[in-house]
Amino acid sequence: METASPVGSFPSPYEVGTPPGCEGWEDLYPYYALFDDERREADEQRFWFWNSMHFPLPMPAFDAICIDTAYQALGTWQNRVFAVPPAMGIDYRCLNGYIYISGNPVTDPEKIAERAGHFQQRAGYYFEHWDELYAAWRTKMEALIAELEALEVPALGELEPDEVAFGDQETSFCAVLDAYRRALRLADVMWQHHFEFLLLGYGAYVTFTELCKTHLPDIPDQHIAQMVAGLDVLLFRPDAELRRLARLALDTEVDGAFVEGRTPAEIESELAESEPGRTWLAELEAVKHPWFHMATGDGLYHYYGSWLDDPTIPFASLTGHIAALRAGEDIERPSDHIATERERLASEYGALLDDEARKGFDDLLALSRTVFPYVEEHKFLCDYWFLTTWWNTIRDFGGLLAEHGFLEDREDVFQLSRLEVYSALDELLLTWATGGQPRGPMYWPPIVARRKELLARLADWTPPPAVGAVPDAILDPALIMLWGVTTQRVHAWAQADEDGSSLSGTPASPGVVEGPARVVRNVSEIGDVREGEILVCSITSPAWAPIFSKIQAAVTDIGGVMSHAAIVCREYALPAVVGTGRATSQIRTGQRIRVDGSAGSVTLLE
Amino acid sequence: MRPLAALRRGDTPAFGGKSSTLGELIAAGIPVAPGFAVSTAALHTFVREAGLDGKIAAELARVSAGDVDSVVAASHAIGEAMRSAPVPDVVREELAAAYAALAEEVGTPEPPVAVRSSALGEDGEDATFAGQLESYLWIRGAEPLVAAVRDCWVSLFGPPAIAYRAHVGQDEPAMGVAVQLMVDAEVSGVLFTCNPVSGDPSMVAVNASWGLGLAVVGGEVTPDDFLVSKVTGEVVRERVHVKEVEYVPDAGGRGAVRVEVSEERRAVACLDSRALEALVEVGRRIERAFGAHQDVEWAIARARGLPDGLFVLQSRPVTALPDRRSVESATAMGLVMSMFGAGDRKD
Repeated sequence: METASPVGSFPSPYEVGTPPGCEGWEDLYPYYALFDDERREADEQRFWFWNSMHFPLPMPAFDAICIDTAYQALGTWQNRVFAVPPAMGIDYRCLNGYIYISGNPVTDPEKIAERAGHFQQRAGYYFEHWDELYAAWRTKMEALIAELEALEVPALGELEPDEVAFGDQETSFCAVLDAYRRALRLADVMWQHHFEFLLLGYGAYVTFTELCKTHLPDIPDQHIAQMVAGLDVLLFRPDAELRRLARLALDTEVDGAFVEGRTPAEIESELAESEPGRTWLAELEAVKHPWFHMATGDGLYHYYGSWLDDPTIPFASLTGHIAALRAGEDIERPSDHIATERERLASEYGALLDDEARKGFDDLLALSRTVFPYVEEHKFLCDYWFLTTWWNTIRDFGGLLAEHGFLEDREDVFQLSRLEVYSALDELLLTWATGGQPRGPMYWPPIVARRKELLARLADWTPPPAVGAVPDAILDPALIMLWGVTTQRVHAWAQADEDGSSLSGTPASPGVVEGPARVVRNVSEIGDVREGEILVCSITSPAWAPIFSKIQAAVTDIGGVMSHAAIVCREYALPAVVGTGRATSQIRTGQRIRVDGSAGSVTLLE
Repeated sequence: MRPLAALRRGDTPAFGGKSSTLGELIAAGIPVAPGFAVSTAALHTFVREAGLDGKIAAELARVSAGDVDSVVAASHAIGEAMRSAPVPDVVREELAAAYAALAEEVGTPEPPVAVRSSALGEDGEDATFAGQLESYLWIRGAEPLVAAVRDCWVSLFGPPAIAYRAHVGQDEPAMGVAVQLMVDAEVSGVLFTCNPVSGDPSMVAVNASWGLGLAVVGGEVTPDDFLVSKVTGEVVRERVHVKEVEYVPDAGGRGAVRVEVSEERRAVACLDSRALEALVEVGRRIERAFGAHQDVEWAIARARGLPDGLFVLQSRPVTALPDRRSVESATAMGLVMSMFGAGDRKD
């Protein structure tokens, strides 16, 4: 199906203009994050694609830490630790607030051969000791989260406390700066942990996929995913706990409090009035840590809080589960069925292969199942639990700055880069110590206001899926494994359907449906999703699970068969097409579309 | 004559490939329309009794492989001679008796039957003759059956068959005949127990069209095309085409006629998920029974429901499968290393 026809083109990043009213957007980002004139010759010849998987929205200045630190960590593991032979790390550039990324290939054959030796040794060690290394990883990740949860932002009083005057306690200016440095350091360490296993984990899975496709060329991707996917995955626990709480509410007859349309606070206050209600609330409290550390979005923006920050999603889900139970429906995740099916697929496909292929199949399946818990679980520990907690710590620094007039609101801290926050704290501590007049309260608020306005305007701009040169082939294992960006996919983007009446992507969950689209570009819009709509988004997060009981199908801009949308749609037996590149920019809310989750096509019907 | 159900692979020399394969299918519990086999000896008896040996040998001796006119002339002369020669009484009586037994078995006087050649050849048997030997459909009554059997024998000396044998240097033509109860097919077609294009062994590929199988086998319609996972039964690909013609029994109940497909059925899929499920199941059983991928002709009888209405008409080994992309034998870890471009692991 792959054609060798002309591959189309992408715009040059230097010819993409600035949207009206967005002049000066560059000031939000580091000098090195731009398509600058000095590197123009090289940058125009490179293939850059919009990383809408992780950064679907214009990037707030502070949140850019999730690019810098993340790519420091990814590059370090890929390039400097494991020395993946043909590929170093990922470069990024910011264009009108959106993040474009490009891989750095290794082209010298001698260098590749040299790196191959290191890779075999180092990656081989990881694969051979996976279970023990992963167990140690879980321990250090949990310790890191504990350290973060214990981190407090010191207050600045009129006078230093007695412990400073008469004891050995450090002074507040040291303590505040130290706390901020520790917060930044914890993020560095989290990203370091985040990427330690990621490439290797995806690598084993992609290898198994390739083996399957060599011997079973027509095997649907979702069957491969089903054979590998874990059964008892952390990510499914939060919703499992909600189902348990829903059953408890019915069993103890407090379910009357869960009325559609009530706020979590209204439900909780009714429950607090009765003894069984209070018992239920106590059970809820016990569940919250850690299971309410699910993010409401995909975690890489400060906008995405946890269920603790915004309990609307879990309460909507509880209300839905209770209504379903009352209607006599089975709300359990069919784990027995999933487990049986997983083994059945593995043994039936295995039996179709000759002995030699069978050996590779069995071994790679076993390896994929060994590594996959990490792939699925790092998301909960790193992206959700750690990050949502960490954003709140940063908010507390924002609170300190706001208290002293440097910001109008604690939330404004995210409009400053991490270095600007450091600088603002420096000045605050200087003037707090000296009693002098700070410039910050006059300096920062106008900057914050302009940046908020810029982000709002940039959100209306539709980024092209890629800029720069169309590559002949995508050979970078990281791009293929982590972003599902393949040669075929990139060429499809470049040859975008001229009349715009159809899109193609990866078939991720089978079935065909027609219905009205609901384009969701921001997590705050998920409340708008109505029964029977087809969700069209950049990427979904497991925290969105409750809305999957309302929708008919899902279409995403980016992602492969193991993306969340794909996994959840298969769980809910909804058709899904992922990795379309441009669904959110080509489809309007309300437009009728047809989704064919078996063929991987989306047709715009009007 | 021998009932199809009594035949096995070892009977091929005496009854031809098709009849013995049908016997194997029946033994494996595959639904096959009942019928009987006419031995290769019957043709010899006919030729001998009618004194045609010399005539045939003389005509064939004049054929030169590359000379179309000589082939056509020989075919014509042999055909004339065979058609005007009487079928020996012993063969005639045996055919009538076997037909009567079939009528009794199915509880219908003068049941319609299909008369097909069951040829002998090296490996692929019928496959080597694909499309060169005739089938006679919807035959009713003992006399027409005798005529159809003789016509079938004549087809062994049709121009393509003579040319083929001259080309491969085969003499001593031999052939059996399979006589089977006619399946009044609402839908029929072909299935492969693998994807013949990609070679994927986890798929069943199905081509289907309305009416008798002639339309699909003869390439007169673009059939509906399905690819179904053997493992989950999921329809992985479905391409429904416009099917303009179909073969149905003649109004008089004798012979099959080509008619236009009614407007409302043309662009509609001729198989539903239940039918596909039944086909996949039968395909898997045949593959297991023969231990190799098979190319199967099938038909679904009108108004019989499933699975009872599904009949297998013929099965052949799939011969020309694409070469699987060659995979160097490597350990799982070796394959992972290759994925990362570190494939030259020396171990």
